[in-house]
Amino acid sequence: MSVATAEVITAPEFRAAGTDLSERRRSGLSCGSIIDLTTSPDTIGITWGTDGAARIGALTAIAAIASDARLAQAYPGITAAAQGLATPQIRHMATLGGNLAQRSRCWYFRNPQIACLKKGGSDCPARSGNHLYHVAFDLGPCVAPHPSTMAMALLAYDAKVTTDRRSGLSISDLLGDGSNGTADNLLASGERIERIELPAPQAGERALYKRAISRSYAEWPLAEICVRAVISGGMFQQVHITAGGVAPVPLRLVASEAALQGKPANAASAAQAAELAVSGARPLPMTGYKLELLTGLVRDVVERIAV
Amino acid sequence: MPAQAAAGKAVTTVEGIGAAQLHPVQKAFMAHDALQCGFCTPGFIVEATAFCDQWRATKGTAVPSREEIGAALSGHLCRCGAYDGIFRAVADACAGRFDGDNVAAPRIEARDKVTGAAKYTVDINHDGQLEGLILRSRDAHARITVLDLAPARALPGVAAVSLLGDDRIVRYVGEPIAAVAARDRKSALAALAAIKVSSEKLPAVVGLDAGRKDGAPVVFDKASRKRAGNVSEAAGGPAPWKQNIRGPTAVFSTRAKKARSWVDEARQASNKLLVEATFRTATQQHACLEPHAAVARFDGDRLTLHASTQQVFHLKEQIAKRYKIDHDKVRVIADHVGGGFGSKASLGTETIAAIELAREAKAPVRVAYDRQEELSVAGYRPAAELKVALLASDQGGLKALSVTAHADTGAATNSTIAGLARLIYPAEAKDLSDFDVISNLPPGAAFRGPGGPPMAFAVEQSIDEAALRLKVDPIALRKRWDPDPNRQRLYDWASGLDIWRNRKPQQNGRYRRGIGVATGYWLYLWQPNVKVEVAVKGGRIVASTATQDIGTGTRSVLADTIAREFDLEPSDIDVRIGDSSLPEGPGSGGSRVTASVMPPTLQAVRKLKAAILEQATRKPAPGSNAPWRELIARSPDIAVTEARGEDGKNTAPGIRSPLREVGLMGMVFGWMMRRFSNIAVGAGVPSSVQVIEVEVDTWLGHVRVLNVHTGIAVGKIASPALARSQACGAVIQGLGYALYEARELDPNSGDVLTAGMEDYRIPGIADTPEINVHFDEAGFDHVLGNSVGIGEASTVPTSAAVANAIYDAIGVRLTEIPIRPDRIVAALKGRTAA
Repeated sequence: MSVATAEVITAPEFRAAGTDLSERRRSGLSCGSIIDLTTSPDTIGITWGTDGAARIGALTAIAAIASDARLAQAYPGITAAAQGLATPQIRHMATLGGNLAQRSRCWYFRNPQIACLKKGGSDCPARSGNHLYHVAFDLGPCVAPHPSTMAMALLAYDAKVTTDRRSGLSISDLLGDGSNGTADNLLASGERIERIELPAPQAGERALYKRAISRSYAEWPLAEICVRAVISGGMFQQVHITAGGVAPVPLRLVASEAALQGKPANAASAAQAAELAVSGARPLPMTGYKLELLTGLVRDVVERIAV
Repeated sequence: MPAQAAAGKAVTTVEGIGAAQLHPVQKAFMAHDALQCGFCTPGFIVEATAFCDQWRATKGTAVPSREEIGAALSGHLCRCGAYDGIFRAVADACAGRFDGDNVAAPRIEARDKVTGAAKYTVDINHDGQLEGLILRSRDAHARITVLDLAPARALPGVAAVSLLGDDRIVRYVGEPIAAVAARDRKSALAALAAIKVSSEKLPAVVGLDAGRKDGAPVVFDKASRKRAGNVSEAAGGPAPWKQNIRGPTAVFSTRAKKARSWVDEARQASNKLLVEATFRTATQQHACLEPHAAVARFDGDRLTLHASTQQVFHLKEQIAKRYKIDHDKVRVIADHVGGGFGSKASLGTETIAAIELAREAKAPVRVAYDRQEELSVAGYRPAAELKVALLASDQGGLKALSVTAHADTGAATNSTIAGLARLIYPAEAKDLSDFDVISNLPPGAAFRGPGGPPMAFAVEQSIDEAALRLKVDPIALRKRWDPDPNRQRLYDWASGLDIWRNRKPQQNGRYRRGIGVATGYWLYLWQPNVKVEVAVKGGRIVASTATQDIGTGTRSVLADTIAREFDLEPSDIDVRIGDSSLPEGPGSGGSRVTASVMPPTLQAVRKLKAAILEQATRKPAPGSNAPWRELIARSPDIAVTEARGEDGKNTAPGIRSPLREVGLMGMVFGWMMRRFSNIAVGAGVPSSVQVIEVEVDTWLGHVRVLNVHTGIAVGKIASPALARSQACGAVIQGLGYALYEARELDPNSGDVLTAGMEDYRIPGIADTPEINVHFDEAGFDHVLGNSVGIGEASTVPTSAAVANAIYDAIGVRLTEIPIRPDRIVAALKGRTAA
């Protein structure tokens, strides 16, 4: 059965860089009209408030974020995530807003011949089929992990999203809690992301990002995390750990965060936090391995951030 | 990016980069042979040029590290595996070593490939050419009850043809039903949508396990069995065929009953010298970067077909026969072919559709697969399950070897995996059975050393395990059990490597390193009736034969060989290939091109030399340092055509036809290969022994290959730089097979899910380790020119060497490939991966 007539396929779509849209146009997954987003000083580039807080325009290229020295100083988890995603060509063109609003990379969603929840279908074929690269936190009817690495990093920074209609949206407000399987985000039809606002960095905070993949580069993460923390007096304070690639939305690993709060910044604390990274996980038959990868990632990154 | 986004901007393509003068990156790619088929080369050149220019602007002539180059080029993929040369080329270009006018290239068509001048089939664009698309089955098994092309034909400028067989049954998702041609892709898509199709679904069965179940729906009934595809390089023999299981094919067994009873006894006695395991290998897609493509054009009753094919000459004959056209009215052209690896060695749907559409439309038609078609219905190396039982004797000999292989061949048959274990490691008894498991999946095809890599993955790990149990060095055990003289020399080389001699005991930390060894071989095949013309035309040497270059370097092999004979430069030789109107040349399969063209070339050169001298009116100046150059420049046009003759009988000690050792069945097999597939099996066995070091991240399941040592015995190396490229590419493809590559399916519908390069994961440049290539050039003195093919032998052992290295690192044997992070972390926990 072809899904070419599903409403979601024929709806108008925004085009920022078009790195994903071009492929969906060709495969027949996007058949509606296109609204090209035009760059303006407000949607492109990074501006700084007097308190040291950054605002990033939605049409700022990922590569521009990845290579911004001041951003790297203030929000190292965000620049590291930008450096780690996709390929150099994609990073060169793709935008922050486009990264947040991109469509699922699920191999069932991408096949224009197969119906699924995100294409007006009645069930998730990955759940009963092949979900090797899907979620290990089964939070809703669709089992595709959210593809946005930037959303995962921004969640660690409590970033707020401003659209042309609303402001002050958290990443959770933007993407939901994973219980809605029919969409990749909660933007209304025609609503467009304009900029991202970051809170001013804390004194002495540091952050690291890492993804687990099978090759060296250019692969969607099997699991990825961003860890942000202040270490004072040799103790972890204000730890934020977020994970991507494992759930329908980026997750805060709150149990790991709580376990580190006020604990010595050392390998033993990291190992303890790592064991708690999978709290609340509900893996699918084929995704149990992601829990081991997530544990390994938390242990790796927290250990490195502690030194 | 939409084209309009570039409005008002300057765009530089690969053609622009080299337009005025070659960029240092282009010269470096040429000099380091950083390319093979060349299809991905423009992308690499553009990206590497941008990287190099930026690097030079900020860092002068500092040399970038492998890590920096790997990261910068990580968005490009090369299926031939030219990464080793690309690393060296980019480093040298950045370092300023190619700023001068020095342009030298071991590959004679390299300049065309680094400047975008090389034309592939997909680039062909005749006046009035139409674009063809194929309507494919959505069902894994169905009978097409209605196929009405009229609504499509009613659209302006649309041609449409049926591709259904007379039984009107489709047996896999993606099986061709019909094809349309229209002025552009968009119109063709509309025409496809206009076709009326109704079908009656039939029960379907998907995959190796389901296909073997009792009562599974039968894919081919007796009457339709001839429709099944072929996963080997040659035609197959008869075999039992019940429901979806074809086999056993067990002609290469010897004392099979004895082998079985010895294994049973050893099992009952819990004999520690019995190694038993079940191995699983994944379906590997060829993933050619130039998709399957054909452009057909009729001029009156003459057909010109541009095709991305591994066999211009044979394809012409197949077309002439199928369409009852005179042989001299069909011409097949393939100037450059963007990869094949076995998948482009038949008369494929793209060709059939292009020809039939062009005939109906009375206009040229191009059919080029898209990436989804290329990664689903264009062939693959079948997945397999291999059960191995290997019994060592108390005296440390090899007593019995049993291998039973079930191959996941889809709508195809003729897998030989277990049988290949006959031609290595002689044992007192061998029980070798091959089965095809047919199901409602696209047909598999021959893929670089068909059956070799899965056989090696299972048998070479079993040999490793036996070495552990016998407490013998794994190379020493191979040297003891494998008397082949070519490999004996390679074992001596391997055991002398520092990396092997300095192996460390197993480690415990997060990152653990290990070293593994494995052996592989392929048959030495050559093609009878091959002819090569070597001529003087207009004062230059011209060599012609209807073969093709799929990235292996055929042009250079011919040019280098002839240049050596005349003491000229390879650039002095014009090589004409890729055109079926030339003298009959070999197909690029079975590693047979070099061994098929070099002997007749050398014979023709000898005769041509005599003719030139005989007709020379003036001898070269005394003391001339280029007497042949002078003679050729002054010679009248002379052409000599020679055919590939039989090899000499003067084989080195221990070198003989491997089939002789198999006795009567081997002779019958050899006769059938020659009679039905036009392939001769020669004496001596092309071989490779590889030693590989890996590092396993036990937390994240990541395997990093640190270095590879590949020893290769394929006789004298005709074109050393290109042979090195082939050897490295073979290793890189083998690493993909070992670590990353797997076709994934929906188990219910039979849809291929890994239908794009994001989901079907081939190795990238940063996954490429240091590769040390050792050529042992002896062993083929009985072949005129002393050279045989390198393509297949060099890729067979890689996956097994990686698996043995991983065992050495972590003490757990990974019996299933690809060895992905999910499998590593599961194995470390003693769990079976999903």
